[in-house]
Amino acid sequence: MDLLTLLVQSGVNGLVIGTMYALMAIGFTLVFGIMRVVNFAHGEFYMIGSFVAFITYAQWHLPFAMTLLITIAVVGIAGALIEWLLIRPLRADELTGMIATLGISVVLQNSALMYFGASPRPMPDVVSGLVRFGPVVFSWSRIFVIVAAALVIGAFWLFMQKSRTGRAMRAVAQDREAALIQGIDVERIFPFAFGMSVALAAVAGALMAPVFSVSPFVGITPMLKAFIVVILGGLGSIPGAVLGGLLLGMIESFGATLFGALVADMLQLALVIAILLVRPTGLMGRKEA
Amino acid sequence: MNTVDTHMTQPTAASASQRGFWTRIVLVTLACAVAYATPGLLPNLFYVHIANLTLVSGIFALSLWIIYCVGQLSLGHAAFAGLGAYASALLSLRLGVPPFVSLLIAGIGTATVAALLGAVILRLRGVYFVLVTFLFGQMFTLMVLNWQSLTNGANGLISIPPITILGLSFGPRPVFFYFAFVVFLLVLLFTWALSRSTFGRAFDSIEQNIDLAESCGIDTSKYQIIAFTIGSGIAGVGGAMIAHYIRYISPDTFTFHNSVAYITMLVVGGRSLFWGAVVGAAFLTPLPEFLRDFAGLQHIIYGAIMILVLRLLPGGLISLPATLRRIGGGK
Repeated sequence: MDLLTLLVQSGVNGLVIGTMYALMAIGFTLVFGIMRVVNFAHGEFYMIGSFVAFITYAQWHLPFAMTLLITIAVVGIAGALIEWLLIRPLRADELTGMIATLGISVVLQNSALMYFGASPRPMPDVVSGLVRFGPVVFSWSRIFVIVAAALVIGAFWLFMQKSRTGRAMRAVAQDREAALIQGIDVERIFPFAFGMSVALAAVAGALMAPVFSVSPFVGITPMLKAFIVVILGGLGSIPGAVLGGLLLGMIESFGATLFGALVADMLQLALVIAILLVRPTGLMGRKEA
Repeated sequence: MNTVDTHMTQPTAASASQRGFWTRIVLVTLACAVAYATPGLLPNLFYVHIANLTLVSGIFALSLWIIYCVGQLSLGHAAFAGLGAYASALLSLRLGVPPFVSLLIAGIGTATVAALLGAVILRLRGVYFVLVTFLFGQMFTLMVLNWQSLTNGANGLISIPPITILGLSFGPRPVFFYFAFVVFLLVLLFTWALSRSTFGRAFDSIEQNIDLAESCGIDTSKYQIIAFTIGSGIAGVGGAMIAHYIRYISPDTFTFHNSVAYITMLVVGGRSLFWGAVVGAAFLTPLPEFLRDFAGLQHIIYGAIMILVLRLLPGGLISLPATLRRIGGGK
């Protein structure tokens, strides 16, 4: 394999994991920005998303677009309910809220373990075949993931910028009290934001299900990566989450190609710590009031 | 403060602390008596093992509490435990240092690393400090995995020698119990003494309002570094104890999830007082074992209990008596 092919392949792989990290990190940062809750259960919603996709697509043979819609609906509603039932009473204190999400994570992961068993299941590709651009070859399935994730992120961005609810959410993130004075029903925004956040994680899970496999433990790594991305991009910053996700994906992919996977992991952590020390608010974060 | 006030309160405070002192001597003696009998009373070695793990968890939770006292939450506490564990294990395996000596060196070494790291990262506050300690924990795991020649990578270190003092081996579970108990008691008394000293009062003022403490002339960063150093050093000793007790360590022995478990102990036990950490460790460490009968369901119940405790007792388990009294009084 010549150098060009290697680099292009690394770039495509970096984009695939980068968009996945971005999808995860957007939801994570959204919940932190609006609710001040570090959601340790975020990865479990990724896992649930991949299971819902597995059941609807691989077992029921529904079209994949339908699968995605069902995933968003199921996980979004479940997330809103969880916020309303479990997180709402514990949110007042940052630490208590964090531990509550930890408890939720334990319950969700082990419920999946009990119901589905520990062994990973392979999921068939949504699109198959290869595409050739001159000397380099891509698989359609990877490009599909990148395009679909980009579309979801774009739709989310439009929603946050243009829709009434999206603007209300941004207002709450900026200043909860001022938002209340403006007549925004903060208590209604919270379950909605939480539902949307975990639905994004579920979309990431559904899209990545054919790339990795499906098991109760698939959510752990994306969760840790989302954590790192959010630090890199700045807590609460959505553009930061996208930028940080892509950056981390690229560093990981090229680092792994050039130096091996372990060194690549060390490299990204060293980079993030360096950034934190120089600029504690991350690349695109704002200073907290 | 006016002088009259001090005159009025000092004698009563002194006699109260005198009484408190004797109460504590009695409590410690009682605890020792109970501990002396414990390994004999437990039905089998597995229970002794759980008791040992609970004691070491108590050490971890207490040491984390010391850091929490200055308003900082470490998500990398397990990494310091791991650092101590690897340091002590390697010292005894490669250099033949007697395990008890290596334990002490590991504690000092871990404290030194924490002091150096703390000087750099403790200027971050709140959630940013939490995040950077999380990253430190991840770095530690990766370093252990990567540094094959020293740490044996993912395979871990095997046949670590047990702690031996004057020919007495603390390898067997019932004997290790006494060692763990003594260390636990020392850490507990140290934490208690610390929380009552000038240091403790400075810690307290920092936790309550760091800006006010700073403007009162308290060198907050100095105290934060001291607390971080002490807490992490104790965690290093705890980790080394695990290494010489289980006699096998790997990168999986001390992960992010352990750090999270220690924090959970603090919160579930109650973080306002130091013995909340002890209650949390004593409650949460054996809990999965008690739930073993519900095979498969045990972790789900564990998670549910965690959420329930938070929901019903926001002050942690140590607020249970006060809550019961309130309910009783409300009738």
